[in-house]
Amino acid sequence: MTVLINADSRIMVQGITGKRGRFHALQMLKNGSQLVGGTSPGKGGEWCFEGRIPIFDTVRECVQSTNADVSVIFVPPHATADAILEAIDSGIKTIISITGSIPLQDMMTVKSALKDSDAVLVGPNSPGVLIPGIANAGIFPNNIAVRGNVGVVSRSGTLCYEVLDCLTQAGIGVSAAVGLGDDPIIGIDFQSCLELFEADPHTDQIVIVGGPGGDSEIKAANYIMNQVTKPVIALIVGENLASSLLRIFSDNRGNHYSEALKNKTKNLLEAGVLIAKKIDDIPPLINR
Amino acid sequence: MKLHEYQAKSILKKAGIPLPISHLAGNAGQVKRISNEIGYPVVLKAQTLEAGRGHAGGVRIVHNESEIETVSNEIFKLVLNQQPIQFILVEKAFTFYKEYYLGIISDLDEGTPVLRISEAGGATFLEADSFKDALTVDKVIDINRGLNDYQIRESLVDMGIAPTYWKQFQVIARKLYEVYRQNDASLVEINSLVLTELDQLYALDVKISIDTQSLYRQEAFFDALDPSYFGWEEREAMKYDLDYHSLPGEIGCMVNGMGLAYLTMEQLLTINAMPAAMIDIRGGATSSSISSAFEMLLANQNVKVIIINIFGGMTQSDETSQGILQALDKSSIKKPVFIRLEGTDGSIGLDLLHKNEKLSFFGNTEALVNAAISWLRGDEQ
Repeated sequence: MTVLINADSRIMVQGITGKRGRFHALQMLKNGSQLVGGTSPGKGGEWCFEGRIPIFDTVRECVQSTNADVSVIFVPPHATADAILEAIDSGIKTIISITGSIPLQDMMTVKSALKDSDAVLVGPNSPGVLIPGIANAGIFPNNIAVRGNVGVVSRSGTLCYEVLDCLTQAGIGVSAAVGLGDDPIIGIDFQSCLELFEADPHTDQIVIVGGPGGDSEIKAANYIMNQVTKPVIALIVGENLASSLLRIFSDNRGNHYSEALKNKTKNLLEAGVLIAKKIDDIPPLINR
Repeated sequence: MKLHEYQAKSILKKAGIPLPISHLAGNAGQVKRISNEIGYPVVLKAQTLEAGRGHAGGVRIVHNESEIETVSNEIFKLVLNQQPIQFILVEKAFTFYKEYYLGIISDLDEGTPVLRISEAGGATFLEADSFKDALTVDKVIDINRGLNDYQIRESLVDMGIAPTYWKQFQVIARKLYEVYRQNDASLVEINSLVLTELDQLYALDVKISIDTQSLYRQEAFFDALDPSYFGWEEREAMKYDLDYHSLPGEIGCMVNGMGLAYLTMEQLLTINAMPAAMIDIRGGATSSSISSAFEMLLANQNVKVIIINIFGGMTQSDETSQGILQALDKSSIKKPVFIRLEGTDGSIGLDLLHKNEKLSFFGNTEALVNAAISWLRGDEQ
């Protein structure tokens, strides 16, 4: 694998007959991603997309029949933790949860299970992983990015689209884009993703897009300082917002963003990262 | 979602955690009757979800019947962050000689519950600095193994707490963790847990936050949502899985994803503008939830102009467009609408909307926000 997925990845969709799962599975087929199967409990044995893609009752059967190694999850939030655990136990290596708003304690169960496994979880509430022109394991809009040497990792899905769109407009190509997911508790973080980009021969420079809440960008800054040799550019949104406003945003979700205003930008600057103040600042900072 | 003190205390009481006697009162007469029943001195505690209750005079000790009406009337007149006080919790006053913090908190970065014992008695989890200055012990809990007795024991040893008190601490810590698990809490804390002259532990102040994402399986809490804290828009929004944030400005914003919410906010702030409402329709919103969101913006009297900023991945733009058109059809209210719509099937969505002449379209966040605000300011002049 290069960055989580590659041209040989065999992608399956959990929840392939639901409205979203079906729509985006079809997009994957259309954009040339290697979709091999899907699950929909009770519909095992049926086919979708004019007999092109087999449906299974369980992930186990899908893996046995299709050798799927990447799963993209579209099941409803209350069933998502179960779907992730099923994927882990069936030997899926890269699990991508598009579904978000997963109950906090369900995700704690998942995090505990991930510790004992070599599976990697991207998300929940992630747009997926995109290798432009090769595979779109998720819901990235078609043609949003072109092939190139810039790795992009973002906590927010929509900001990831914004950045990709901006790079494409500027004629800059992307090696891989990863949406970490907007939920309070997520699988891989900035640091793990930086490790993958650092090791990826197709990536020469890295863009990270962070936001309020959590320590993930600060951990990433420490890691960049000591372990990352490739140039890194960072955009941290929300730092200009007063803490009272951030509190308003965070309360409804029951999250605690008290640490939100830790100076992430300052830490990243000290680690030698180039800081973009807004999205349009990113292209000029990229080495062509 | 924070619970009121009286709601949190009733949950902990049912779980068997020792608490002072307390009853809820809705007016000064009730305060007096309850105080006479439980005996003086009593503590009167304003029930509010706003911060700064103690500082504003919302927690008062009353020593005898002669002062009770005056003090309770003073508390009922308090307004904290525009929220009036509707209830007072009347509680038996306690004397104590030592206070602790005991809580089950959620470490979101690591994705684990954590048992925290600290000498920072009255602090709350959100005041990180209070814990830095006080002896504090954190124990990471593996949710699949639960809170083990040895972990509580280790914490007590590290805190230097004498073995004679261990049993009481252990019972309370275990019950606290049960409450955390059974109620899908994100936070259950006793601040402070006090030791009385008789060497008994009591939970004087408590806080519980429920994970909003679990409300579908904790329906009792959905009904318990305080209408003064969550306006009808917020409650309505939760039904449609929307995030609704009330703000003190004049612009109604509809975005998808927190990232875009922050970006739109920042762009507004750079030109000194502020939303009246920010609705995050989140990934995969349907045309009916988008229609509801849009109706809320039309109905909100503070909203003078509407900004829609959507970059759809999961959110299909044809759904977005249909939702907007449905709401425009239904509502008799007319407000200017500024739209930026990109992403999955962006052009299909735009084709649908272009037929409506009341809408203006933009290619990026900056142009969108600037156009809406110059319209607003031009209109005011």
